[in-house]
Amino acid sequence: MTQRMAGGVLTPPAARSEVLTKTAKPRVRRRGKAWVAWLFVAPAITAYALFVLLPMGRTVQYSFYEWDGIGASPWVGFDNYVKVFTDPELSGTIVNAFELIVFFSGVPVLLGLAIAATIRRIATSRLAAVARTVLFIPQVIPLVAAGIAWSWLLSGNGLVNQVLSAVGLGGVTRAWLGDFGTALPAVGVIGAWVLLGLCTLLLLAGMSKIDPALYEAARIDGAGPLREFFSITVPSLRQEIGVCVTVTVIAALASFDIVYIATQGGPGNTTMVPGLEIYYQAFVERQVGVASALAVVLVVLVLVCVLPIQRLTKEES
Amino acid sequence: MIVGRREAWLGRVFLVLLMVMTVLPLVSLFVTALHPSGTYPTGLEWPSEPRWDNFATAFQAAHMGELLQSSTLIVLGVVPLSLLLATMAGFAIGQLRMKGHRWVFLMFVLGLTLPYEGVITPLYYQIRDLGLLNSRWAIILPLIALFMPFGVFWMRAHFVTMPGDISEAAQIDGANSWQQFWRIHVPLAMPAISSLAILQFLWTWNQFLLAIVLVGDPRKRTMAGALGAFQGQWGTDIPLLCAGSLLVLAPVLVLFLIFQRRFTSALLQGSLKG
Amino acid sequence: MPRRTSHRGSLAGAALLAAALLAACGGPGGTGVQSTDTGAALTEKPTCGTQPVTLRAYFETGFPLPKALSDEFSKQFPNVKWDIREDQFAVITQNAPRVLADDPPDLMRLPQVSELVKNNLLKNLDGYAGVFGWDKWPASQLEQLRMKPGGGARGEGSLFAMGLNFSVTGVFYNKTLAERVGMTAAPTTLAEFDGVLAKAQQAGVTPITVFNGGATGGLAFPLQNLMAAYGDPKPVNDWIYQKPGATIDTPSNVKAAGHLQGWIKSGYFAKDANAMDYAKMMSEFLAGNGLFMFNGDWESGNLDKKMPGEVGFFPLPAEKGGKVAAMSAPLTFGIGAKAKNADCAAVFLDWVATNETARRIAVEVGGSHPMGAADAKMPAVAQGTVTAETLAAGERISKDNGAMDFIANATGAIYAKSWTPQLQKLFAGEQSPEGLLKAVQSDYQTQVGS
Repeated sequence: MTQRMAGGVLTPPAARSEVLTKTAKPRVRRRGKAWVAWLFVAPAITAYALFVLLPMGRTVQYSFYEWDGIGASPWVGFDNYVKVFTDPELSGTIVNAFELIVFFSGVPVLLGLAIAATIRRIATSRLAAVARTVLFIPQVIPLVAAGIAWSWLLSGNGLVNQVLSAVGLGGVTRAWLGDFGTALPAVGVIGAWVLLGLCTLLLLAGMSKIDPALYEAARIDGAGPLREFFSITVPSLRQEIGVCVTVTVIAALASFDIVYIATQGGPGNTTMVPGLEIYYQAFVERQVGVASALAVVLVVLVLVCVLPIQRLTKEES
Repeated sequence: MIVGRREAWLGRVFLVLLMVMTVLPLVSLFVTALHPSGTYPTGLEWPSEPRWDNFATAFQAAHMGELLQSSTLIVLGVVPLSLLLATMAGFAIGQLRMKGHRWVFLMFVLGLTLPYEGVITPLYYQIRDLGLLNSRWAIILPLIALFMPFGVFWMRAHFVTMPGDISEAAQIDGANSWQQFWRIHVPLAMPAISSLAILQFLWTWNQFLLAIVLVGDPRKRTMAGALGAFQGQWGTDIPLLCAGSLLVLAPVLVLFLIFQRRFTSALLQGSLKG
Repeated sequence: MPRRTSHRGSLAGAALLAAALLAACGGPGGTGVQSTDTGAALTEKPTCGTQPVTLRAYFETGFPLPKALSDEFSKQFPNVKWDIREDQFAVITQNAPRVLADDPPDLMRLPQVSELVKNNLLKNLDGYAGVFGWDKWPASQLEQLRMKPGGGARGEGSLFAMGLNFSVTGVFYNKTLAERVGMTAAPTTLAEFDGVLAKAQQAGVTPITVFNGGATGGLAFPLQNLMAAYGDPKPVNDWIYQKPGATIDTPSNVKAAGHLQGWIKSGYFAKDANAMDYAKMMSEFLAGNGLFMFNGDWESGNLDKKMPGEVGFFPLPAEKGGKVAAMSAPLTFGIGAKAKNADCAAVFLDWVATNETARRIAVEVGGSHPMGAADAKMPAVAQGTVTAETLAAGERISKDNGAMDFIANATGAIYAKSWTPQLQKLFAGEQSPEGLLKAVQSDYQTQVGS
């Protein structure tokens, strides 16, 4: 899932902007042969209804029952939801997911902005062309592979510790994914690695559209690079930033692949995220009802987080 | 313009650093893969005797031949059909604009943010009841549907920008909607369709959750799902695991490097449109 | 503009919700009474026939015994071929209910069986046991695999799984390092053992290599050995068997957990234990980086091969010496309730316990005691090997009546969801011994209750 969003699908957000701007354009509609048009959409709707809407409805349905996936299923009302919010093991996964946002979204967007601003002037050089390819690699390879590579880098005798020891920081070396204090941030670093290149390139593309005259005017006014950055670059990039934030927030909240590979939720439950907990509850503990309630909460959570971002970044345009 | 030059240098340094950061995990995978199977090498350490045969062992252990075939079959099952359905729907919503097209469109757009975890549990039982568990159809059918929101959104975005006069001209020539669609609109939509094809290829190839839940046999999974199984089985043998990971990510990486322009533009396009 | 869209959005959302509610009439799953397999008696021994048969098996990665046995079986019964899937134990634990319910293998390495039996996912082996004479073997061999059909406490009732052999756990030690720290004989009391640990640490030797990372909390091994050192194995077994009213939170177990915490605080384990997996621990021990290792005799064959004459074994001594108890369990395999070739799989299980070559493989490759009748011929084992020592220890434990099942086997989820996270917390200093047992007990009650 994460891959779907992170995997360059910068577009869902752009999608929303389309909804806002283009559908509204008044145009002549050819209502004459409506049934033909319906024939064209029918296959897509059928597929969507069968394997997306129907299962979604069933997730909602299951969430009101206690079911082990095999036997009978008594109706339990909102008990599963109560459990999701009161059982620290379950509610903790949501807290963890929000902490991951700091790394999945915060780091790539802020660092991406800084880097993009720094390399803006050489955006057309050959080096930048090479970079465009290289920085996309994390987007192309399976997240599972990224998880495996990073698990190894962050392990007790991995490269990260080797570098730390080499620069005289041998004291802080540890098995980063196995330490209570560092496991979640370490997972976050993996996510940041996957998303940083993408955000940087997106923001760079956005910067290339800013009218250079704006910068010249600012320079004449005596603005330094910092003021230039905050008063011109950032405001002009509202939309690109919105895209980055949306994509990365979804990647954080719905993360599964990386955590499944790198930590399986451990140590303790420090890196357990909703996606993985749903998997465990549904298929290991066979608490299908609880899994479904958590799934509904996750779906709603993603919507609730993403819609305001859209609203915020769209308002001025 | 001394400032400018210094900035440019700083930019170069940053960019190079960023690239190094990006490829370092892969380099580390590669170096580790050359150590003797079953050992625990330290960091980035070139082995005294590189064990190239690890790749051959991993190729066999991972059943790479079968895996490539399986992933290809799944991609062939998902992408063409998904493209067709999305293009048809996008055409109807963006060009034909029947009454209620906005509703239909909104219904699809709402699915854009849906995490797969939200539907995975019922999907499992649904696929089981269809008797498709542990077959490639278990990945193909749901993926086609799960790709619909984005696909329809993407194709509609294309069709909505196409002037209506094209259709009108064709209508006068007596072509019906189906003929118009195939003769005029699909050829014109080729750039959008091929970008979408690239994206859907990537998402299919790298699909993990559906594969590990719905298909037990790694040889009937996608590449990413099979890598999950490979880790489940060989995760304790680090050099072999690294070699296997590289083999699994190689095909998509090679394709990416060959068609890098198409890939990057496909990946960036959406945002640029917005 | 945004307002209009969101209005429409909420309408569409409402439509979706309505559709969802519509689907929500009636609960999922079957309501009919499931037939319970009571293992009807058989009149003649099943066979694998003469037609080609492919047994679908699900084995654990990293343990060569099942593979070695299946190869030998095919040699003796050429019409039987194998389709083997392998995963790490944690993955098998995750997959077991799903695989057995929806895609049942003929033969499967099993984690804990209680839930699987409750859900009627395993074949009742009573019929086979009768016709093959398994019920005439020493009862203790199969006790852990018995349950009342359809649920209840474990330890008695119908047979739902079989062992390929039965293992014993305890302490392996590196003889060279033991000599260096002045350990001349196996310790006979817990205090003596502690003394050796302290000496090892002073000598700059890692006292204990352990794994406690990922989904497998390996500290459960020393913990349970300590439980046996401090108290009677019976209440622990009752708890594992889900006998009514059983609790793990007993005074002697608190002492055991406290003792373990003492070892952690003294730094007797490698500091990155929370990131070590089983294979890493093995490679550390094999490399000579550690004096002791809590593990089972399934590694004996491996250790004899890779460190011949270098390794010794003893059961962890009790607090005041004397009788010893230890985890000792069959290497559990079961047959799926809906398996296609159940008969042939049963033939295989019987063959493993009775065929001379198979019994030899069970000892040489598996390192553990073969299953089977008390008077069955024991394969010869070279003296001075760890295998000989573990077999002797196994006999001592069964003489002392000290066999326990593994605390991780109490329920299907207790290991992954309770012991592992709690032990990882204990290791990180974020959990107390009392808190650990309370937390596990509370999870246990929810899991057993449901």
